[in-house]
Amino acid sequence: MTRLLAVIERDLKKFKRNPVVLAMSILMPMIYLVILGNSFQGKLTGLPLAVVNQDGGPQADRVMEYLRAVQAGPRTFSVAVLSDQRAAVDGVRSGRYKAALIIPPDFSRRVAVSGRPDIGLFLDNTDSISSDTIRNLVDAALSSIKSEYVPIREPADEPLLRDINLYGKVDYYQSLVPGVVIMAIFLGTLTTGAFNLVMDRFLGIEESYLLTPLSKGHIVGGLIISGLSITTMNAALILTMSMLITGIPLSRGIDNFFPVLFVVVFTTLCLLSLMFAILGRISHPRIVGVLSGFLNVILFFPSGAVYPVASFPGWLKSFARVNPEAYAVDALKSLLFKNAGMAAVSGDVAFLALFTAAMMALSILTFKRTL
Amino acid sequence: MQGTKAIAVHEITRKFGTATAVDRISFEVDRGEFFGFLGPNGAGKTTLIRMLTTLLVPTGGKAVVAGFDVAEDPSEVRKHIGVVPQAMTSDLDLTGRENMDIYGRFYGIRARQRKERVERLLEMVGLAQRADDLVATYSGGMRRRLEIARVLVHRPELLFLDEPTIGLDPQSRRVVWDLLRKLTEGGSITIFLTTHYMEEAETLCGRVAIIDAGRIIAMGSPAELKAGIPGNDIITLRVGGLTGEIVQSIKKLPFVHNVGMEDESIRVSADNGAENLPGLIDAVRASGGTILSASVHEQSLEDVFIHYTGKSIREEEARKINFLVGAGIPRGFGR
Ligand SMILES: Nc1ncnc2c1ncn2[C@@H]1O[C@H](COP(=O)(O)OP(=O)(O)OP(=O)(O)O)[C@@H](O)[C@H]1O
Ligand SMILES: [Mg+2]
Repeated sequence: MTRLLAVIERDLKKFKRNPVVLAMSILMPMIYLVILGNSFQGKLTGLPLAVVNQDGGPQADRVMEYLRAVQAGPRTFSVAVLSDQRAAVDGVRSGRYKAALIIPPDFSRRVAVSGRPDIGLFLDNTDSISSDTIRNLVDAALSSIKSEYVPIREPADEPLLRDINLYGKVDYYQSLVPGVVIMAIFLGTLTTGAFNLVMDRFLGIEESYLLTPLSKGHIVGGLIISGLSITTMNAALILTMSMLITGIPLSRGIDNFFPVLFVVVFTTLCLLSLMFAILGRISHPRIVGVLSGFLNVILFFPSGAVYPVASFPGWLKSFARVNPEAYAVDALKSLLFKNAGMAAVSGDVAFLALFTAAMMALSILTFKRTL
Repeated sequence: MQGTKAIAVHEITRKFGTATAVDRISFEVDRGEFFGFLGPNGAGKTTLIRMLTTLLVPTGGKAVVAGFDVAEDPSEVRKHIGVVPQAMTSDLDLTGRENMDIYGRFYGIRARQRKERVERLLEMVGLAQRADDLVATYSGGMRRRLEIARVLVHRPELLFLDEPTIGLDPQSRRVVWDLLRKLTEGGSITIFLTTHYMEEAETLCGRVAIIDAGRIIAMGSPAELKAGIPGNDIITLRVGGLTGEIVQSIKKLPFVHNVGMEDESIRVSADNGAENLPGLIDAVRASGGTILSASVHEQSLEDVFIHYTGKSIREEEARKINFLVGAGIPRGFGR
């Protein structure tokens, strides 16, 4: 026991002597929240759309009106009205506009006569997310005029879609909080635990404690426990701060204090032991650098922190089923947004605990006490 | 306990791939002895020490250290020994005192005893004033002294030191030597040291094994080793207009045993150098050489090494060692 404590204390002391790392590991996940929130926005805004109105008739005016309404309301477009069709299309090619909408001269007449107007939409389809959004909105604009002239009876049996929010409103920023906390945990487990072992090995310092009576369990266990204490403290701080920033009521965290703590602790243990299993034999920090980016992407993006797991293709869903970060995200979402208690997340925690046990066993098995 | 020897090694071997770093070495060290391994870079000293201290598994042979077999009972061996590896292994971002205290805890030494010993040892190695500074601010010599002090916290009965003075200036080297001498005074501790400084082996060790290319080429006390080669003095002459004839004529002199040639100088191993120097100078002059300089020194272990291997220990000393990192940088990726 004294030996285990000595390993832990050595690691914590060394960490404390490096305050820059401490500050960065708190700051960086917060910046993630801001960058992530603004780059993967839930809805797109400000897409530049060029419109050339060659008609000027009443129907064309209606379309324009609709577009302006979108610009003023959800602000999906910023509309630029041009007179030259060539200029508009060239603008799309050069990337100035995401799309160009050309309303031909006989547009209003054709609406009146056939109800089947032609309209030209030039899309920058290299960017599929924004081009899909624009196509849908233009379709909506056209059907808005159609419905007036070609009345479609609403079938009586068609269900009326109305949003029913089961839980309190969760805006996009708030929905990222679990992901940010998981990211903080990931970063923490990457720079503590096994990484310190790799560093010691690289600097040749490892030799000094391999020569002592410390057992494998002391070395692996000690480094994991010190990594755990640093990382959970960090994660708790980041969770509190991002709840304050995004306006999730703190009472959620307090009501569910122990379940949240449980999830954070087990996620941390899980990732720490995973790192140990992967890095336990590595002797160069450069390998850790190369692996870290890779691990972050393959664990974080399929975790459901940004996009829902349900929308993944089958193979990726299967991966999410063994991805500890997916369980962590699921558990945190339940606790923070659904206010569900321990019972709701016990399955997630059980998976994390099992995963930890397996990785710990693997780490101790593969860790070598010789050079 | 198997036997009463501190170290008993039988045909120990370590191969790295096809290369043999340590080749069937056998020797024994008694308790209380100060035993040295002298050899040039790459001779296999570190590999041998790592096997004896359980860090490397031998590929052949057997070693019993402090009464326990290194392959069968490594954890028992570790409890009884203290090791100062060749590379600097103290933690740079801990203070000197913290380094020692944590090390003591690795051995499960109780707090009071630990504190006492750490104070005394820091005093002994002259680091009491700097004990609360980070090791990162220490000089190489201070760091080495700290590491020697650290390894004594648990009072090992057997101490291994791998080139403890490598990279130190002559003054720090002397400080370390004094320290080691002081340790052996009581006779309760056995020291196993490797070095490639013959002076170090000569002044410190009761018995020395000379190792080259993984094999022991000679073993005995420094005096025995020196007595084991012909002659007792080395005369070095720098000669203007050196020719093969001159060398031949010197070789014929009765008190000369061996003549080596390097550029302008000749190295003559001879009996009673000071007495016979004039005769040697006469012989050179008679064959048409001019004497530029002459020196006489007693034969050292260096000369023993040259006698057996035909090369100087220092020849390969060019390898640079980063002081901050030590010599322990891994040679490849992964393992
Ligand atoms: N891990 C290793 N892998 C491959 N070869 C090795 C390894 N360790 C040592 N060797 C080789 O074994 C030989 C002996 O090396 P060793 O480090 O034991 O020499 P040494 O006597 O300690 O030298 P030095 O005075 O330079 O420290 C060298 O040829 C070295 O290249
Ligand atoms: Mg060596």
